[in-house]
Amino acid sequence: MCKYEILFLATPEITKDESEGIKSSFSKIIRSHKGDMLSFERWGKYRLAYPVKKNEYGVYFLTRFEVENEVKNTLIADLKEAFVFKFNNVVMKNHFERLGSKGPLEYKRPESLEDNPQDVDTFLKKNEMEGLLKKGPVRKAAESQDLPEQDAPVEKEVLDDNNDNQETENYDEKNKA
Amino acid sequence: MTKKIKLKISARLLKKKLRRKSASSKKQCRFTNNPELAQDIDYKNVDLLSKFLTERGKILPSRISGNSSKYQRLVSREIKKARIMALLPFCATEY
Repeated sequence: MCKYEILFLATPEITKDESEGIKSSFSKIIRSHKGDMLSFERWGKYRLAYPVKKNEYGVYFLTRFEVENEVKNTLIADLKEAFVFKFNNVVMKNHFERLGSKGPLEYKRPESLEDNPQDVDTFLKKNEMEGLLKKGPVRKAAESQDLPEQDAPVEKEVLDDNNDNQETENYDEKNKA
Repeated sequence: MTKKIKLKISARLLKKKLRRKSASSKKQCRFTNNPELAQDIDYKNVDLLSKFLTERGKILPSRISGNSSKYQRLVSREIKKARIMALLPFCATEY
């Protein structure tokens, strides 16, 4: 027995019925070759690294299956055929990969847009650009309360500046002397 | 009276010495001593693979990344798979 996985990229407009249709047809093909379907996962929506068929976004699916060594080539050929003739409108790219027999089945995948939808504000906070955040009504109210408190340190700073200026003047005088 | 002799070393020679010292310390491959990390090299693990790309999207040479030739081959092969599946860019430009 050997394990395989297929990662395929579908168009962003794919519906649930279409994805379930793909799943059922896959399981049919695999069962006809006396194999087992181990998993069928939907990764979610992703922004692609480059546009594929004029689509900037796409949905990834990962399936895994087991077959016996004697039938594996015919099964893979049948699955590839299905991609080309049946799901040509929905699936944009596919990739077959053989898994190691002893290797772990766990894997790491990139975060999708559906896992954590990003607002502009959260993006700015993450990348330390809080100065660009829009000032909402709550924040304005807080500022108005803080105004009298904020004035005091400003005055202090001014005083400190004056002191600094005096010190620098003294320095200059000493240097001149 | 004995004259004190000052030894002068020019800035150019100093730089040369420093360069020689820095060249002697070799970079170590991060995967050879860490087999757990080496198992994570996979075309789906984009976060790890993107560390071996330049800003432009080119594969970093082992001279800079410090990978041994075995793992450099593995990493570059997985990056190429990820590129085909549009997980990583062939050439990082805004589109």
